[in-house]
Amino acid sequence: MDELTGFHYRSGSSVLHRLDVRMKLLLLALFSAAGLHVNSAGLLLLGLPLLALAGFSRVAPSLHSRELRGLGLLLGVVFVARTISTDGAALLSMGTVVVSREGVRDGLQVCLRLILVFLMGSMLAASTRPADVKAGVQWLLDPLPFIPAERVGTMLGLIVRFIPLIFEEVSRTMDAQRARAVENRRNPVYRMVMFGIPLLRRVLETSDRLALAMEARGYTESRTGPELRAGRRDWAALAAGGCWLALVMAV
Amino acid sequence: MTHLPVEKRGAMPVIIQIENLVHRFADGTVGLEGVSMQVAEGSFVIIAGANGSGKTTLLRHLNGLLRPTSGTVRVAGIDVAKDLLRARTMVGMMFQDADSQIVGETVYADAAFGPENLKLDRAEIDRRVQEALAATGLAHLSGKRPHLLSGGEKRRLAIAGILAMQPRVIVFDEPFSNLDYPGVRQVLGQILQLHRSGQTILLTTHDLEKVLAHADRLVFMRGGKIECDGPPPALVAAAEAYGVKRPRAAGLGVEALSWMN
Repeated sequence: MDELTGFHYRSGSSVLHRLDVRMKLLLLALFSAAGLHVNSAGLLLLGLPLLALAGFSRVAPSLHSRELRGLGLLLGVVFVARTISTDGAALLSMGTVVVSREGVRDGLQVCLRLILVFLMGSMLAASTRPADVKAGVQWLLDPLPFIPAERVGTMLGLIVRFIPLIFEEVSRTMDAQRARAVENRRNPVYRMVMFGIPLLRRVLETSDRLALAMEARGYTESRTGPELRAGRRDWAALAAGGCWLALVMAV
Repeated sequence: MTHLPVEKRGAMPVIIQIENLVHRFADGTVGLEGVSMQVAEGSFVIIAGANGSGKTTLLRHLNGLLRPTSGTVRVAGIDVAKDLLRARTMVGMMFQDADSQIVGETVYADAAFGPENLKLDRAEIDRRVQEALAATGLAHLSGKRPHLLSGGEKRRLAIAGILAMQPRVIVFDEPFSNLDYPGVRQVLGQILQLHRSGQTILLTTHDLEKVLAHADRLVFMRGGKIECDGPPPALVAAAEAYGVKRPRAAGLGVEALSWMN
């Protein structure tokens, strides 16, 4: 249960590792927004410096990772769905299924967009400690009215903390049921109910204990905040990213 | 109730004062029935009894996780029910299930959770966390994710999280449950070191053998009441009357029981 996903922090001291998390989050938001407004060529231009940075900082997602295989499958499905569902000049037709030129172009564009977002997400996760991501999100949410930034930050932290616990409960519950021959039951609804209810009960009990432990350690919403520092280098990175975006958008 | 004289380590002031404490749960079940006791600062008290005897309920009153139906609990003269935050700063608590006690995403972040709640400044938090991790031998693991630690390390992390709040009393609820032999030795060693450094320790268990040799005082509970309270050598023979296994080597003297030998 060590590495649940490819989205985990890998320690290092690269430029990307040292960049202030707020800049990373802002750049991620800006690049994602820009990705919605540019075509495939623009998406490639946005992605190229990111790929170079990921390689340079040694945080590129491994080509053999489970997530990348999952992403490949998702992209395949999205691409096929786009190519056959978009109207336009026919490139290929098999009975009622028509692959259109516009469909291929759209499919490619959507896939590139997804790759860009995946790349940025995995770069952020690999180069930033979860505590810093939490601090960055909290800082960005702080000025927004009606959003309890501290509570959102704590919730984010607890989610990161809780995922492995939930997976452990899942495997424990599964083992206990297998040991009593649940696989002999063919009805998937029965199996889902028999699995889901005890799992939910155990997860709720665990969260109850966690809440009690937090109370015992004096949890309050007004706590010492995270310490974030942005130096000249961080501002320069934000400016460089912004300039590159403006250039790509202009072209 | 039997009260036997407890050997005093000098004349230490009383740090915990419980008077006629009654606790009834929402469904009417009696958790505690007229419990009164005093604990001297720096002492090491074991509270033993069968499941449901009221041990955990009693401990949870010490830092206000439960409030009395009647009676009072004072820590260093402060009424726990009236000043919860101070009570929680003074009384650190380690729960049975260390896994669900860990809040942080890394060892460091977890140890810093308590001091952050106390709104200390970052430099002070860092100093306390470094000290607590060094004291529990976890300094080299500070960047590690807690769920990857061993059972013994997880409990030591729970202790580090408590130490970083600089409490005066530390309460351990079944600290050895589900631990292997090396894990028990690690945690016991840590508890003994805390006691030597002057901390007041209260510990519940139904496994006396692991820890009795080191305690100054033994309390047996049954049905939400303190039934027996005194020095371990005088009381250990009666353990089984309170639903607790009598250590097999008790005949050789309580001192011979230590798991640290």
